[in-house]
Amino acid sequence: MDLPVHWLLPLVYIAGFLVAAGLKNGHWLIARATAAVGFSAALVAIVGNLLGAGLGIWYSPDSLGLVMVALVSVLGWVVIAYSQRYLQGEKNQACFVRATLFTLACVSLLVVSQNLLIMVLAWSGTSIGLHYLLTFYRERKSAQIVAHKKFIVSRLADLCLLVAILLIYNTAGTLSLNGLSGYLNSVNTLTPMLHLAAVLFAVAAILKSAQLPLHGWLIQVMEAPTPVSALLHAGVVNMGGFVLIRLAELVSLAPLAQALLVVVGGGSAVLAGLVTMTRISIKVRLAWSTCAQMGFMLMEVGLGFYELALLHLVAHSLYKAYAFLAAGNTVSETRHHRLYSIGVQSRSIAWCVFAAFGSALMVWLSISVWQWLLPALNMPWVVALIIALGLAPLLWWEQGASPYLVVRGCLSVLGLTQLYIVWHIVFADLAPPAADVAPALTLWVVMIFSLLYLMQVWLRCYPSGQLATRLYPWAYNGFYLDETFTRLTFKFWPARLSPRQAQTLVNKQEVHYGDTL
Amino acid sequence: MNAPVHDTQSNAELLDEALQRACDAVAPTWPLDQLIAVNPYWGHVEQPFNIAASHLSQIGGSRLTMQQSYYRAQWQEGRIEVQHLRQANKEFGGHLSEKALLDALELADSALTPAPLLCDSLDSQRDLLHEPAWCDTITHQIAQFCAAYFDRDQADWHPNQEQALYASWRETLSRDHSVALLMKAAHIPAKAKALAPDSHTQLQRALEQLGVEPTQWARYFEAVLMRVSGWAAWCAYRRWQARLAGGDDQALLDLLAIRLSWECLIDDAKRHTGSAWKRWQQAWWTHFHRGDQTDLDVLAIWQRAHEIGYQQTLCKQLATAYHESEYAAPSVQAVFCIDVRSEVFRRHLEAQSTAIQTLGFAGFFGLPISYTPLGTQATRAQLPGLLAPAIDVTDSSGDTERDEQIRQRRQRNLKAGFAKRPWQIMPGSSFTLVETLGLGYIGKLFRRSMPTTSRVVTGVTSGFDKSDLKGMRPTLQVALAGDLEQQAELAARVLRGMGLAEGAMAPLVLLIGHGSQSANNPHGAGLDCGACCGQTGEVNARALAGLLNDAAVRERLLRSDIHIPSNTRFIAGLHNTTTDDVALFDTDNLPATLHRALTQLTDQLAAAGLAARRERAPALGLEHLQDKPGSLTRAVKQRANDWAQTRPEWGLANNAAFIVAPRSRTRGVKLGGRSFLHDYDHHKDPDNSLLELIMTAPMVVTHWINMQYYASTVDNQRYGSGNKLLHNVVGGRLGVFEGNGGDLRIGLAWQSIHDGANYRHEPLRLTVVIDAPATAIEAVIAKHDLVRNLVNNQWLYLARFQGNDIVFYRRGEWLSLG
Repeated sequence: MDLPVHWLLPLVYIAGFLVAAGLKNGHWLIARATAAVGFSAALVAIVGNLLGAGLGIWYSPDSLGLVMVALVSVLGWVVIAYSQRYLQGEKNQACFVRATLFTLACVSLLVVSQNLLIMVLAWSGTSIGLHYLLTFYRERKSAQIVAHKKFIVSRLADLCLLVAILLIYNTAGTLSLNGLSGYLNSVNTLTPMLHLAAVLFAVAAILKSAQLPLHGWLIQVMEAPTPVSALLHAGVVNMGGFVLIRLAELVSLAPLAQALLVVVGGGSAVLAGLVTMTRISIKVRLAWSTCAQMGFMLMEVGLGFYELALLHLVAHSLYKAYAFLAAGNTVSETRHHRLYSIGVQSRSIAWCVFAAFGSALMVWLSISVWQWLLPALNMPWVVALIIALGLAPLLWWEQGASPYLVVRGCLSVLGLTQLYIVWHIVFADLAPPAADVAPALTLWVVMIFSLLYLMQVWLRCYPSGQLATRLYPWAYNGFYLDETFTRLTFKFWPARLSPRQAQTLVNKQEVHYGDTL
Repeated sequence: MNAPVHDTQSNAELLDEALQRACDAVAPTWPLDQLIAVNPYWGHVEQPFNIAASHLSQIGGSRLTMQQSYYRAQWQEGRIEVQHLRQANKEFGGHLSEKALLDALELADSALTPAPLLCDSLDSQRDLLHEPAWCDTITHQIAQFCAAYFDRDQADWHPNQEQALYASWRETLSRDHSVALLMKAAHIPAKAKALAPDSHTQLQRALEQLGVEPTQWARYFEAVLMRVSGWAAWCAYRRWQARLAGGDDQALLDLLAIRLSWECLIDDAKRHTGSAWKRWQQAWWTHFHRGDQTDLDVLAIWQRAHEIGYQQTLCKQLATAYHESEYAAPSVQAVFCIDVRSEVFRRHLEAQSTAIQTLGFAGFFGLPISYTPLGTQATRAQLPGLLAPAIDVTDSSGDTERDEQIRQRRQRNLKAGFAKRPWQIMPGSSFTLVETLGLGYIGKLFRRSMPTTSRVVTGVTSGFDKSDLKGMRPTLQVALAGDLEQQAELAARVLRGMGLAEGAMAPLVLLIGHGSQSANNPHGAGLDCGACCGQTGEVNARALAGLLNDAAVRERLLRSDIHIPSNTRFIAGLHNTTTDDVALFDTDNLPATLHRALTQLTDQLAAAGLAARRERAPALGLEHLQDKPGSLTRAVKQRANDWAQTRPEWGLANNAAFIVAPRSRTRGVKLGGRSFLHDYDHHKDPDNSLLELIMTAPMVVTHWINMQYYASTVDNQRYGSGNKLLHNVVGGRLGVFEGNGGDLRIGLAWQSIHDGANYRHEPLRLTVVIDAPATAIEAVIAKHDLVRNLVNNQWLYLARFQGNDIVFYRRGEWLSLG
């Protein structure tokens, strides 16, 4: 059989899962071995691909799949190694191992698959595996309710996916990505049915990436052990972005899907970003930040910047996996930050706006130089604007500016800009080519990100002003979006709880961790 | 129980009294970065232990003993013997037969319920399978609000923190529609707006609206506060700190008003038979008139039997241990913290040579200091939580000019760090941050996944240039520590306390504080020195060594008849309790004559560390490495740096005794790391002032630690912080949530007392054994209400050496154990 070498990863994880499922003991050994072999397999695939490109052996033309395989193998290895020690002494560790291996097997199958049906099944499978992990502590009522909310959202997404692939099969007569690609190359515009399919894929991605307003499940799943959160936030929730990048050719031809992604993704990025500022516990703050980051990634897909979306997906995975696994460091970080607290001296709106212009100038200069060196470099101006606004806070100097700080700040802005451009160039080769998009969407993005910048400046300068006070309850309560959804699930499709799970916390009989119910 | 019209004057007094009682019942909890142990029953020590137990079981549904299954296991495994049970039964009056006691263990574990509130009645009418419960929703709302209100370090956008807690909550809730939406109770914001604007008026109104009889007020308030006991403990901490500083704080009262207001907000005003209110009234009455206490009594007897079992073993060990001191002229004296973990290390260090004498003294070494790292304003206390700091310590190289340069350099560096902060936390920047720096986290993931054996540098050095650290040491601020006279006074007091003022002083005197090393551990400070307010003892040890090595201070000490030989040097050290390594500080300016002695000592410390690690290996699951010193050391050190390790060390688990005596009483006895050891020689304390100090300060601290472990073990749900795997740090340092939300969790994590198969902490009340005359001890008991409460109410057991025997203090008499 002519399987590309990066297919090794799903095979390794499937084998690992099957062995673990059949064994009574030694689950961690199997898990560690699987993760190690999986990691080596990914290494072999990458090295083989780099070396063998000229030779034609070990070569897989699917660079997107290869990047994802590398990512999943790293995450799998880290999460499994962490969990083995972290879960010491817990009950039901064997089940935990099985569910983790199953989830990872599904994820890796999803990222290498070239067939839409397999992709849909594997994607659905990750959600099932994860459902088990999220309810690892079965006695926890909130864990059950949240997992149930996730279950509903995922099944809605599955429904969208099923209809979508039926439509594709009906129109293009194939479910293979190659076949679809061939079909799309032969047409200029999409048929309404295919357009609908693209929209449905976008909707599924939005649902599975926890975008507003159905994001609540992602925010509240702190009811499972930390590595589960890490796996979810780094390796599962971003698959929506991946699938859309896979289907870039389809999405690029579907303006409606693009518009949906830009509006919902951008909106989520900004709103969830604002909510993040109000969060008071570390894990929930990280979760809202994931919601915002996923919104940003989907927005990039909608804007046709597939290379940036892929960069964002991979970078965010690594960053968020680390942030969750290291969430216990929060206290020492706080202690560290308290050393700084020498007092804020100057904050002014005018200065912060000026800082944005300064940062924009440096970004623009950098890009110009790079474009002079590499005329092929395509750096859309809306992207440059977002970077400039992002880097501007480095020039705020809230404790007063000194020549030393000014130099350091400017060097930081310049350095980070170069880094950004380098990653951009690297990932441009790995992802599908950029697509064109309606100017209105670009305008929307410019508007909301400028607004976000001004909002955060305003809140920073007037922390107890009218705007901050009026808007606070809204941001603090996540704009009341999740309460409504929770209420509806309680009404129409309630979680099935045992009487023991349903008890209120204070009156609960003492439950020992890991007790079966 | 509609309230009849009472004399308003007396009602007002009654109300204040009830409020005070309810608030005083709450013990404080310290923030995570200064996590010290507290007896969570501190507000109840005026009552006998068993009365408090029955009180808490009624009010909060909380138990003060383990459950039947635990004692059954202890009995079956022979840790509780029949004689222990008989003795315990006798102490309780012998009303129950042995058979009854044994039969009672065969019953299933009994469940307790807290005193019912109106919200419980409402919940019992709700279909909890299809609707969220009021109880949980209320707790969630209050906990989330309190977090936002008290947070200073996590969020970047806060509710009104200038107003009082209650006023801010009322304002927030009147604009908050989340509960209204979730619970389909649209009227909540409007009702919240109609609440009284201040907490005291609202409390009165609530009592009227809910028709609570004055006789029930105190216990009702207490029951209400128990529902938010975590945040109540936080408010009590604020009150504690305010009072130490001479002020007061109303947050606890406000919190009570908030929780009580919720009862009013969900009250449907119906009072007919069958209404929620009526059923609540009936439930309340039934709850407090059940009367059957047998269950609790039986468990109390078993608990006592368990304690007798331990005490007998301890008495036997101590009775055979006594040796006249064999080390007339020690070449090294090493002062350790009284911490139970020092016991193991001291034993192994003494085993290296008879010329090594070790002493036990509270790890802050009697210095009432706070420490401000140079160039910062991050002042922190370095003394027991019971006391307020009086002297400031900061880093100094001894050269004022150089200090000033370093200070400026450090502030510049810290400012540069601060300038990056907005970019790290602003939501608009986070997208750029991920796309530029995110990929770099792959390196961090790999590094952290393969823990090294290195010692993690603490946060305290951040902002220093590397070369600046040389010669820097925490130093008493002369301006604040007073003139030479006062410094010498402080030095004299400390030396007397340690028992070093009289007798020969060794050429090397080590002052060894302790600290732990764990990674990714929100409760890490809880493993550090409790006497140093959850910090390591490094600052205190180094500051004291500096003070005692100062020639001018030494000269002045002669006036107090304290002679420190000129060839004696004090060296500060830090015992790493996770790895059992000891690091020595500031040894670079040691006179050449002591170099050889120091080298030898360093080897001895290393050998002692190795032996201590061997002893602790089985508890860490490393028994297979016991005979491979190299691998064991590596394993222990990796464990300390492992970000996935939830049990880096066992801390003070299994602590059970506090021995106040000369070391000759315990030298060579394997106390298994269960005993706090404080050196005390009553011959050197003619006026009993030292004994008084020990019984009112270190004894209270050890009792707090003991009770923290006790409470976290017997009721982890209320007094422990639950599962570490779910911990979610709140406000950067305030405490943790277990999972998504719920009340703030206080106390120790489940993982700190249990290894997954067995409890690692045996919940036993502290046994204090003092080597002092009966009259001296009795004088202290008579003088201090606090000590009297702890002893007479059996919150701890007090015993003394009588010859080689040990006798226990019981209702004014000294009796041997059964």
